[in-house]
Amino acid sequence: MDKTPAIATHGLTKDFGKRRAVHVLDLVVPPGIVFGYLGPNGAGKTTTIKLLAGLYRPTAGQALVFGHEVTSDRDRVQGMIGYLPGDFTGYADQTGGQFLHLIGSLRGGVNPARVLQLAERFEVDLGRRLGTLSHGNRQKIGIIQAFMNQPPLLVLDEPTQGLDPLMQREFLALVREVRAQGQTVLLSSHVLAEVEAVADQIGILKDGRLLTTLTMEELHAGARRSIDLTFERSVPEADLRRTTGVKDVQVHDRTAHLSVTGSTADLLRVAAPHGIVRLVTHETDLADTFLDFYENGWEDSDAQRLSEGAVGPTPQPSVLG
Amino acid sequence: MRNVFQKALWDQRRNLPFWASGVALVVLLEAALWPSMSDMASLDDYLQDLPPALREVFSLDQMATGSGFLNAELFTLVLPMIFLVFAINRGARMVAGEEEAGTLDLLLVTPLSTTRLLVQEAAALTLSIIALGAAVFGATMVGGRLFGLGISVAAAVVGATALVLLGVEFGILALVIGALTGRRGLAIGAPTALVMAAYLLFVAGALVDGLAAWRGFSPFDQALHSGPLSPQVPASFAWLVLPPLLALLVALPLWSRRDIGTAR
Repeated sequence: MDKTPAIATHGLTKDFGKRRAVHVLDLVVPPGIVFGYLGPNGAGKTTTIKLLAGLYRPTAGQALVFGHEVTSDRDRVQGMIGYLPGDFTGYADQTGGQFLHLIGSLRGGVNPARVLQLAERFEVDLGRRLGTLSHGNRQKIGIIQAFMNQPPLLVLDEPTQGLDPLMQREFLALVREVRAQGQTVLLSSHVLAEVEAVADQIGILKDGRLLTTLTMEELHAGARRSIDLTFERSVPEADLRRTTGVKDVQVHDRTAHLSVTGSTADLLRVAAPHGIVRLVTHETDLADTFLDFYENGWEDSDAQRLSEGAVGPTPQPSVLG
Repeated sequence: MRNVFQKALWDQRRNLPFWASGVALVVLLEAALWPSMSDMASLDDYLQDLPPALREVFSLDQMATGSGFLNAELFTLVLPMIFLVFAINRGARMVAGEEEAGTLDLLLVTPLSTTRLLVQEAAALTLSIIALGAAVFGATMVGGRLFGLGISVAAAVVGATALVLLGVEFGILALVIGALTGRRGLAIGAPTALVMAAYLLFVAGALVDGLAAWRGFSPFDQALHSGPLSPQVPASFAWLVLPPLLALLVALPLWSRRDIGTAR
């Protein structure tokens, strides 16, 4: 398969007046993967997606989809994208079937059998007008229109909102299927748990800056673990506190409770000479790691370590005016 | 529905028949008044006493003929305004309305270009205004026959065409302003203000001698000065076609470079 990145942005920047929504974004999404695009509300996820979909024009930099520049080759790029907006509504007075037929025709025709199969799978009635559907059922129509003509790139803005857990699972299964067929999926979300199950890679965005991109393995490696160490005699508390990656040391009797980020090699090297009687590790939820990013963002040492090098300049202090 | 043109027409499946039957009914009812009006012997004397400017604006001089009667009663104010309300509202809804509803994204993130989208919307708008014009033409012919107004086919065609051209001019303007700004309110407001200005110039040009030379710039004058129910196609109709075409041509490259959905 072609090695051209499905998505590549170079210094992509978007300002709205004085507000900078996306800040010098350099993002590369290889083809054939599921990329989780994560960030808190207002981080610039939707802006990036609209830049990729050719709905916004960048203030600076460029975005390429399969090597085609979005701005100069807009219609071709738009023809390669299955797009689900974050606020999908469709036309209230059209039935699901009419709507999908219209969008399918604009994309140059779509296999009706594929549409029916997707509708059956998501248990949505194509004969009902969109205005009469519940939010979740309308969202399913949105998902179907994005997937129905099997575009090489799917750009989905918070696709699972409004779906019940069963349908979320169905959606994730569909994402895995299209990846198996070589399609690329960019999935935005503000919750890690949503993308954790399918993503091969994630990118974390905050305040318009890409903090880091990680493979899922790297993310797991960066997860913080809490560990209980029980020593033969007394706890070498001072030594433990000095060890890299170790935090939140609490001592009860001969047991130290602490948390480690990343590798435990250093910790074990320091602790071993003191005679470890018992070692218990609790793998913390990945969500906690992720929350660290949100709360502490770029300033946090864990985040810096994960990002493997500088990503962008520090924020400029705002000018008084 | 296979494209934006068909979709734009489908959107009017209830609206357009309602408007078309409305204008047809207005024309028929007015025509039905003609027999009793034409019997009023004193009407001409009464009209002679009115100020010349008023007679000119409402084409009252030919009030004694069937076409003159319809011109004065409908074609110089009521019907143009109905056409303009319809055209401006539809035009504003087509791009700006879709954009405010968040549905424009879905039409654009397809191989469909912004140019084709706007041209198809403009074509659908023009066709629906022509349909409205056809209803006026039909009602004028039927009413004319039934109540003996003596209006020729040519005059009815020219009269309906004047309304269509006037509607298309401002409707396309609303469409274009909507495409350039993404704001439906502005797409309705700005053309409406221009309609008011154009009508003011049309009326003031008849009342004030100093403005008479400028009157020809008003689309109302260009559309209505010949009657508009008259067997001759006035050359000034060309001036009604030019501005919407120009507006479209100027807007196309600008609208393709605009951020979609930021005005919401």
